[in-house]
Amino acid sequence: MPELSYREAVRDALATAMRRDDEVFVMGEDIAEMGGSMGVTQGMLDEFGPERVRNTPISEMALVGAGIGAAMQGMRPVVEVMYEDFLTLACEQIVNQAAKHRYMSGGQVKVPLTVRTQGGAGWSPGAQHAQQLEAWFVHVPGLKVVFASTPADVRGLLYTSIYDDNPVVFFEHRTLYGIKEEVPDELEPIELGKARVHREGEDVTVVATGRLVHEALRAAEEAEGEGVSVEVVDPRTLQPLDEETLVASVKKTNRCVVAHEAVTRMGFGAEVAAVLQHQAFDWLDAPIERVGARFTPLPFAPVMEEWVVPHAADVLEAIRRTVGRNGH
Amino acid sequence: MATEIKLPRLGQGMESGTIVRWLKSEGEPVEKGEPLYELDTDKVTQEVEADASGVLLRIAVEEGEVEVGRTIALIGQEGESVPDEAPAPAPEEPAKPEAKRAAPAAQTLQQTVARSDGRGGGRIKASPLARRIARERGVELSSLQGTGPEGRIVAEDVERAAAAPAPAAAVPAPPFEAEVVPLTSLRRTVARRMTEAWQAPAFQISTSADMTRALAIRARLVERGDTPKPTISDLLTKVSAAALMRHREVNALYEGDAVRLLASADIGMAVATERGLLVPVIRGCERLTIPEIAAARADLVERARSGKLQQADLEGGSFTISNLGMYGVEQFVAVLNPPQAAILAVGAVQETPVARDGAVEIRPLMTMTLTCDHRSVDGATAADFLRTLKTFLEEPGLAL
Repeated sequence: MPELSYREAVRDALATAMRRDDEVFVMGEDIAEMGGSMGVTQGMLDEFGPERVRNTPISEMALVGAGIGAAMQGMRPVVEVMYEDFLTLACEQIVNQAAKHRYMSGGQVKVPLTVRTQGGAGWSPGAQHAQQLEAWFVHVPGLKVVFASTPADVRGLLYTSIYDDNPVVFFEHRTLYGIKEEVPDELEPIELGKARVHREGEDVTVVATGRLVHEALRAAEEAEGEGVSVEVVDPRTLQPLDEETLVASVKKTNRCVVAHEAVTRMGFGAEVAAVLQHQAFDWLDAPIERVGARFTPLPFAPVMEEWVVPHAADVLEAIRRTVGRNGH
Repeated sequence: MATEIKLPRLGQGMESGTIVRWLKSEGEPVEKGEPLYELDTDKVTQEVEADASGVLLRIAVEEGEVEVGRTIALIGQEGESVPDEAPAPAPEEPAKPEAKRAAPAAQTLQQTVARSDGRGGGRIKASPLARRIARERGVELSSLQGTGPEGRIVAEDVERAAAAPAPAAAVPAPPFEAEVVPLTSLRRTVARRMTEAWQAPAFQISTSADMTRALAIRARLVERGDTPKPTISDLLTKVSAAALMRHREVNALYEGDAVRLLASADIGMAVATERGLLVPVIRGCERLTIPEIAAARADLVERARSGKLQQADLEGGSFTISNLGMYGVEQFVAVLNPPQAAILAVGAVQETPVARDGAVEIRPLMTMTLTCDHRSVDGATAADFLRTLKTFLEEPGLAL
């Protein structure tokens, strides 16, 4: 099996779909000659030409709007929004247009659009270039939301998203582009709405997304040393959510920590906690713990940034609280 | 002015409860929040706390079933006179503006919730899992010391208590002296439900089936290496499901003002456990294969015996089979499992001489006795069902 970086895996999913279907094309700011600000689309202009690898003006609203129009006309566009912070500029198009047309037309119009974007802290980009806004879009009926945490996942999920007949907001994490993982020789699409159990355990389930999947796996290693067996589950698709897998896991372990890099308040983890307390109430032996960023804009100063966003140590602390006894 | 203690609604859909016993007697002082009486609802038996402080002036309902909202006792000041007659039953109604205790709905709800936890001096802190295990194993939470954060009782505390030998067992009972075993909540539930069942106008019909072919099928499945090994019970469950699908009146619930004919054969099986009788349900038996039924049965029996069944495993059966064949019982009569319309009691398969075409042959026969609730099932209907069942056992191919 080949080993791909997360960045290469995204590119491979795009290129595989574009080789297979003329309807698939990519569009975004500086994605052609420059290959995108994260280098994801590097080399694609050479293979697919300027018709299918299109630079756009710096207007997220126009960019996503054009994507919606193309999608409604039968194309399968993948638009890149350089930073997810800039999704705010495209919200009218994503929330009021893309999410609504299929519903409002009684199913006559489909919007098979994929909005790729990335974000995340860890490299001191400041308050406007590192937010994690995935929860905003999970709140909108009519959108699917994916947050992939590994090369194999990002490859299979992006491919499936492109071929989904609904608009998908597809989140990538800035600090994950360099990580590597073995991936199947042939691209294997991954069904949306299926969680991945990264590690099985008996005592606590950590439901983590994005970068926090890796932090959770590190925390699980440490917890193992303390005699606590941790199961790490990545929902991968935030909408639709694989409630079945999450509930089954918590019914087994009786304890749960939800971890993401976004702020805890009103975060995706709150929804997961609500689902679990309702469906696994009689199986819970401790309050569900949440791990997320502190409720503040992201600071530029590296030490401050590090203090605001969660790391493996925060997940480990939360794990300890769930199995806690008097004195902890 | 004395405070009327009314039967609280402790859960959605609760219409009535059964007062098991009073923990205070008339004339005794009572503190608000102290356990006052034990209440049995469909699912659990629990202590209910007093609503008010004072003296328990009168117990209006000593024990038995009471509808929600009815006055069951009066608490007031010592020496306060109370009417001789118990106050007239007052069904629960929305608080009227002029009502003295016209509390906002939220407050009422909060009181109900707090009350349902039952321990003097405030709420017991216990995790939902700990509460469930305590409920299932009959452990009294108020007797435990929690080891979780802030003294919360966690599952481990309850499990430890459930595993610990009962203090009484430490001293062996002297010979010739009767041993008094207090009823566990499971025992109490069995007692209450069986008494309830006994009120139904039930009748029984019996037959026996030649099990030659059924035994051969079972032997073939075992030989094939199926695990868990299918039993005659599994085969019977499968065949009963097929018969129930053809006789819907028997796959039914009697609901007082209607009979509910069920679309799927959710068959309960009586399982003897150390703690008492449990009847877990295998759902959709008409759609399951015999190996699937065997797997479901093995799982449920295992969990029944290890105390790991969940409430959901015990609910919603449409029909019940009780098999005492393994004890060598030839024939017996089962008591109904209300609201189900019928229950089948099955005896052992025994080599029996039977007359066939003018000659005596030895055949493996199994007796079956069907108990029916005559309010929903008539004799001929029951007989029809039993004949189908017998036919299917003797010619299993017909059940396909």
